[in-house]
Order: sequence, then structure tokens, then C-alpha cells
Amino acid sequence: MISLLAAQVLNGLAIGMIYALTAFGLSIIKGLLNVPNFAHGAFYALGAYVCYAALQLGLPFAVALLAAFLVPALVGAAVEKLGVARLMRGPYLYQLLFLFGVALVLEQLIIIIWGTSGLSATAPEWLQGAFDLGFTYLPKYLVFNGCMAAVTIAVVWLMIERTRLGSQIRAGIDKREMAQCLGINVAGLVTTGFALGAGLAGLSGGLVLPLLGANSTMGAEMLSIAFVVLVIGGLGSLYGALAAGILVGLIQSVSSVFAPAASTVLIYVAMVATLMIRPQGLFGER
Amino acid sequence: MRRVTSTWLMSAVAVLAAVAAPLCMPVNIATEIAIYGIFALATYLLVGVAGLYSFGQAAFFGVGGYVAGYVFINTDVPLLAGLLLAAAGSAAAALVVGMMSIKRTGIYFMMLTFAFNQMIYYLAYSWRSVTGGEDGLGGIRRPDITIPGIGTLDLSQHLHFYVLAAVLFVAAFAALYQLMHSPLGLILNAARQNPRRTASLGYSVYRAQLLAFVIAGAASGVAGALFAMLYRIMPIDAISWTNSGTAVFMVIIGGMSSVFGPVIGAAVFIWLQGFFSLIWARWPLLFGVFIILVVLFLKGGVMELFERLRRLFTARASAKTEAAAPTVAGKEGGA
Repeated sequence: MISLLAAQVLNGLAIGMIYALTAFGLSIIKGLLNVPNFAHGAFYALGAYVCYAALQLGLPFAVALLAAFLVPALVGAAVEKLGVARLMRGPYLYQLLFLFGVALVLEQLIIIIWGTSGLSATAPEWLQGAFDLGFTYLPKYLVFNGCMAAVTIAVVWLMIERTRLGSQIRAGIDKREMAQCLGINVAGLVTTGFALGAGLAGLSGGLVLPLLGANSTMGAEMLSIAFVVLVIGGLGSLYGALAAGILVGLIQSVSSVFAPAASTVLIYVAMVATLMIRPQGLFGER
Repeated sequence: MRRVTSTWLMSAVAVLAAVAAPLCMPVNIATEIAIYGIFALATYLLVGVAGLYSFGQAAFFGVGGYVAGYVFINTDVPLLAGLLLAAAGSAAAALVVGMMSIKRTGIYFMMLTFAFNQMIYYLAYSWRSVTGGEDGLGGIRRPDITIPGIGTLDLSQHLHFYVLAAVLFVAAFAALYQLMHSPLGLILNAARQNPRRTASLGYSVYRAQLLAFVIAGAASGVAGALFAMLYRIMPIDAISWTNSGTAVFMVIIGGMSSVFGPVIGAAVFIWLQGFFSLIWARWPLLFGVFIILVVLFLKGGVMELFERLRRLFTARASAKTEAAAPTVAGKEGGA
């Protein structure tokens, strides 16, 4: 029992990091546009399928992961430039619907290209096997997955907190007009931010491919999880996305031992419980 | 007085449309338009009138469908009782969701309604014994209704079922029109434009919005119940977030400027869906492209298209009269 529980905790941490990474991207886009990205789940699924396609071509795993980041990022940049940016002035409902349309199109394109049946891929050889911790086994890929997510989050975080581009993004989030007045190219910034967010979703998809495989409903599932993570963590808080992502991963993973049927619903229960106690989310202001 | 007359006038238009519909198209398509018309009207009450951008209406559509389905499969209750139970179930769900969501505004409200939608989706997905899980709830019967003195409506006949759906649609239409001009509608309208000022005038914005949310939930539930009865199965897809987006899209594509908008939106959507799904199994792709095009190029929806066409024709007509009799047209323009 202890070893099963320990395994689920480790599993939950790894999945939780993926949730955090995806919600991180969603949070950046939400901050810049003030619109939640309904196509986020589709970018996540796209990342997984691109990673799969790259591995099929015989490319090394590292390159496949890079592609899983870059392709959704480029698609995201195009979506922002060609659609979202044009709808900036009207009510945000139009941006929401536009992104809803994009999600439908991407989802269907994925089905047309790769079919509806689930696909799976194995991790490269050096990531197979497990470490023996005595009380449980720790699969090497879980460690890699968690580290990759953690490093990416750290890099993006440092970029936002420390670099010039990052401070411009923060300025764009806080005071759009003022940033514009200071000569910051806000339009370009928003495109960059959107691409970054979409890329992070895609990278998450690539990372989970060896763990969970790829299937046609993964995007919709991840979209709702990322929304829940953001609501629990508090909108606009990057810390919140990180903490809530890990929390949700743990809840899901550990509860699947005790109540497999309820595990999908439990994260929403956690969301409701959080809102009862702190309506603004764990780390949210306002 | 004028309002009451215009309610009658508007309802008469709705009745005429409802009578004409089955003559112009297959009965089942007309029935689905009436059903989705109710769903779109409910969503319009929130999105268009109250300014509450709910992306979770499919949840209440779904609860209504499952309650009606469960009741009609497992018990012998009459039709009206089943529909009332569906409305009550959805209203109860909407009350809970509304109480949790309405205090949060803007994007937060939207994300919460979406998340609650998914919660109810996964609940229906996992609760196999009641909802049938991913297979849906099949074998739903359509009980007959006997109206004393008039006769029996045999709902297993498609046209009779259409009559039921159309009557409920017209009732929903008239009720929404009346509600929009009632004190509640005026408070909602004011709160959409300036919540703080409305509150400072002494109105409880929260209570008005919660009431609207519950009413819209109940109406969505009735639509869901009719949907389940139409196909005799309640599919899990009807709760998915895509269906919530569809409801919002129907409102947008019809145009938010009047109550006719959502109805036209529902009609256009159902018709297009039928058309797209015939030519290609991957029709949601075409639907997605269609959404993108409408949002980018026709923000006012079909109503705006009418308006643009009207302006085009009147411009042409006046150009013609101007060419024929420039002095008269000039005088008219000046006056």
C-alpha cells in the first residue's frame, strides 16, 4: 500500500508539473489578452501529435520535443496575428468565439491527419527503466518529465522576471496604454506572448506523449483541467498556476487509488471547495 | 399598454414562423430548430440582456435531458410532470452554479461557468448507472398528452411532437420578450451597462442576475428534455463544452440587437449543421471555419446582413430616384 501510494504521489507530481506548465501558458495568454484561450487544449494536443510524427520520422526525442514547442507556437502566432489582434477593440466575446472556432478547426484537422484512435510512443532508451528507491520504483521518464517541466517553468519565469522582454510583457499585462506610450511594441509583444503560451501547451503535449499517449479527446480534457488550475490558483498569479497545477495532479493521481470513478470529478470538487474559502483563488488578488 | 400589444405582435410573428416551418423543411429539422431556439433564447437572456457571458449552458441543457430521460424511462409520469421535473432539476443546478459564479465578474465568471460545465460533464460520464456514461441514455419514450375537450397529441408522430416543441418555443419567446420589458429585464439591462450605478440606485444586481441565471437554466433544461425526447436518446456530447459554445454562437450569429437574433441564429445553425454533416463527417471543421468568418467579418450577425442589404437596396433606390428627379430627391434629403 505504501509503495503504491508513493508511486501515485510521484506520478501525481510529474503530471502536476505538466498541468502547471500548461496553465502557465494559459495564464500568460490570459494576462496579455484578458481572454482565456479556448484553443489552448488544441495546442496541447497538437504538441503531442507533432511529437509523435517527429518520432515516427526517426528524429531524436529532443528534436521531437522542440518541434512540439515550435509548431504550436508558430500556429499560435498566426492565430493571434490573423484573428485575435483584429478583434482587440470589440467586446471580448468575439475573441472567445474566434478561439472557440480555432479549437474546433485544429481538433478536426488533427483527426483528419492522425485519425481518432489513440496513438502511443515509447520514451528513448536512455529514459526507460526505473530507479529503485527501496520502498518504490521511480520510472526514469517521470524524473525527466518533471525536470523538463520544472526547468521550462524556471526559464520562462526568469525570462519574465529578469529580462527586458519579460519586463515589457509585464508592462503590457499591467498597463497596456502606458506601455504603448513608452514606445513598446505592444502588438508584437502580444503575438510573442501568445506564441509562447501556445508553445508551452504544445511542449506539455509532447512531454506526456510517452506517459499517456495521444488521443482525440486529450485537448478538451486538458483545456478544462488548465481552467480549473487557473481558477484554483487565482487568475493572474504565476505562483498560483504552479502550486495549483501540482495540487491538481496530486489530487487526481492519489484519488485514483481510493476512488477511481470519482477521480475525474474530484478536481472540480477541489475547485468548488477553494472558491468557498477563497473566492479569488489560492494566490489571486482582488 | 403598448408593450403588451407588441408582445402579442411579436408572438404572432413567432406563431406564424412556427406554423410555416414544417411546410418549408423536414419536420425533424423544424423540431430541432424549435428546441435549439428555446436554448438560444435562454442563452440570449444571459449573454445579450444580462451581459453574463456564460460558457456553461450545455450543463443545464444536459441536466434537463438526463432528468427527463431518466424519468420517462423508469417511471410512468405524464409528459408535463416530466418536463417540469427537468426544468426544476436544471433550475436547481443553475441556482448552485449561479451562486458560485455570479459574484465573480467578466472572464472569471466565464471560466467558472465553463469549469462547472465540465464538472457536470464528467459527473454524467462517470455515473454510468443513471446516465449511461459515454453510450448515452437510450430508449426514452415520448408520453402522449391528452388535452380535455380537444383530443390526444400522439407524440410518437413527428408532426405532433413538433407541435409540442413549437408551442413551448412560442411560449419561451413571448415570455422572454415580456421579461425583457419587465422590471427584472430593465434591472438586468441597467446592470449590464453599469453595475455600480444600478447597485447604488438600490437594486440588488446579484439577485437579479441570479434569478436570470436560474430562469435561463430552467429553459435550457426544457430544451434539453425535448432534445432527449426528439432523438429518444440523451447523448453525452450534448453536455460537452462545444454545445455551450454553440449556444453562444447562435446568439452571436443571429445578432444580439433583438430577440429575433437568437432564433434566426438557431435556425441558421441547425440548417447549416444538417447541410455540413451530410457532405462531410468532419463537419465541425466547416463549422469552426464558419464561426471564424462570422466573427471576423459579420460581427452583427445575420441581422446585420439584413440591415446591410436593406441599406444597399435603399441606397440604390434613392440613387435611382435622384437620377430620375434630382430636384425632388434633393428637397426630400434636405427636409
